[in-house]
Amino acid sequence: MLAEVSRAAVSLASKDSFLSFVTNSFFVALVVTGIVIWLATKATTKMTLIPHPWQNFFESIIEAIYSQVEAIVGPKQAPRAFPLLATLFIFILVSNYFGLLPGVGTIGWGEGHGMLSLTHIDKPLLRPATADLNMTLGMALCFMLIWFYLTIRELGVWGFIKHTFGPKGGAKGLMGMFIALVFLLVGAIEIVSIMFRPGSLSLRLFGNIYAGETLLHTMMTLGEMFGLGATGKFIIATIAPIPFYFMELLVGLLQATVFTLLCAVYIQLSTTHDEHHGEEHGDDHH
Amino acid sequence: MTTTFFAASDIAGQFGLELPKLIAQVLIFLVVFYVLKTKAFGPILAMLEQRRQRISDGESKLEKIAKDLAEAEKNAKAIVDKANDDANRLVKEAGDSAKSLAEKRQQEAIQEASQILAKAREAAQLEHEQLMAQLKSEFGRMVSDATSRVTGKVLNSDDQNRINQETSAQVSL
Repeated sequence: MLAEVSRAAVSLASKDSFLSFVTNSFFVALVVTGIVIWLATKATTKMTLIPHPWQNFFESIIEAIYSQVEAIVGPKQAPRAFPLLATLFIFILVSNYFGLLPGVGTIGWGEGHGMLSLTHIDKPLLRPATADLNMTLGMALCFMLIWFYLTIRELGVWGFIKHTFGPKGGAKGLMGMFIALVFLLVGAIEIVSIMFRPGSLSLRLFGNIYAGETLLHTMMTLGEMFGLGATGKFIIATIAPIPFYFMELLVGLLQATVFTLLCAVYIQLSTTHDEHHGEEHGDDHH
Repeated sequence: MTTTFFAASDIAGQFGLELPKLIAQVLIFLVVFYVLKTKAFGPILAMLEQRRQRISDGESKLEKIAKDLAEAEKNAKAIVDKANDDANRLVKEAGDSAKSLAEKRQQEAIQEASQILAKAREAAQLEHEQLMAQLKSEFGRMVSDATSRVTGKVLNSDDQNRINQETSAQVSL
């Protein structure tokens, strides 16, 4: 029987060891890293204008992501933002799909039952990297750092403050003061929203993938819950999760897309100049 | 505030959020980011740009070729038109020249024929005159013979000449 999917990644080393950070999700992240790098190396070795199959495959993915990123953040920011956004998408997608492979969550250490068989798995060897809050939060923090760098590079510190708190619309007089006050409050809310972004990004991804793992686990143990015999449990554990595997394929792609698109939108929101700011620049040029 | 912090810390603990694990995962992600950025995205984007540039060059070359082709066709048409005009002009000139030559030859032939005819007439006239003179002479001789036979007199040469002259003068052919 599979144990309940733990909310935290399990350390593969003892807790007091220096290697306590090596969790099952860390191990999977290493494997995913290896896979991604291997695929990228295979695709970019002996590149030619007429692409070989792997090059063609990788190029089509990169081109699709780049066109999406460019459509959101604009042609100016696209070359700067693309490497991070593409890495996020590819890494999250491969991690999510890796979690659907047989053996993830079902191979590990636990209470012995027989030859290579366990009644309970307490310490799974493999756990999807994105089902670990450390990984999702780590990616979100990396994104926020690069987001901050791109924003300050584009607007400057004072430009960012003006962009966040500055009144828009050009109203003057009493109305202007009122609007300035409103935008000051809106700016404060914006700052809070920015501070919550790593949390929202990481918890959304973690929650979805963890929920998927739990769902698949529940479907596999339905037979046990209904008190069926060994054959019944085996049949249910084999058949019941199949529809949910397809759903998880969709969720894996969707979550990778959502995470990446939200990051792209955040970059676009903070690096877009205000209209009157652009006009001032335009006037300067004239 | 402190309560919220502790609550958040407790929740984070339940989800296994720990700084060493977080740093380890961040490092892994940064490694992937660095490797993909330097080894994959750069070369692939450069290759895509190179291909885009090549396609763009190809299209501009195609446009140039089409333009050159149109110009070449225009030039060829102009050359063919000019050649047609020249050929027509030459044919017309040749026709005119041939017509003129034919007329000239015809005139020459007519003139030559006229000359031949005139000469033939002259020759015939001369021959006619000679034959007439010969006839007259023969006729005079026959008259002399007849006279000498009728008269029984032997005519001398003066008589014969006189009879001949008189006969010639009286015979009109």
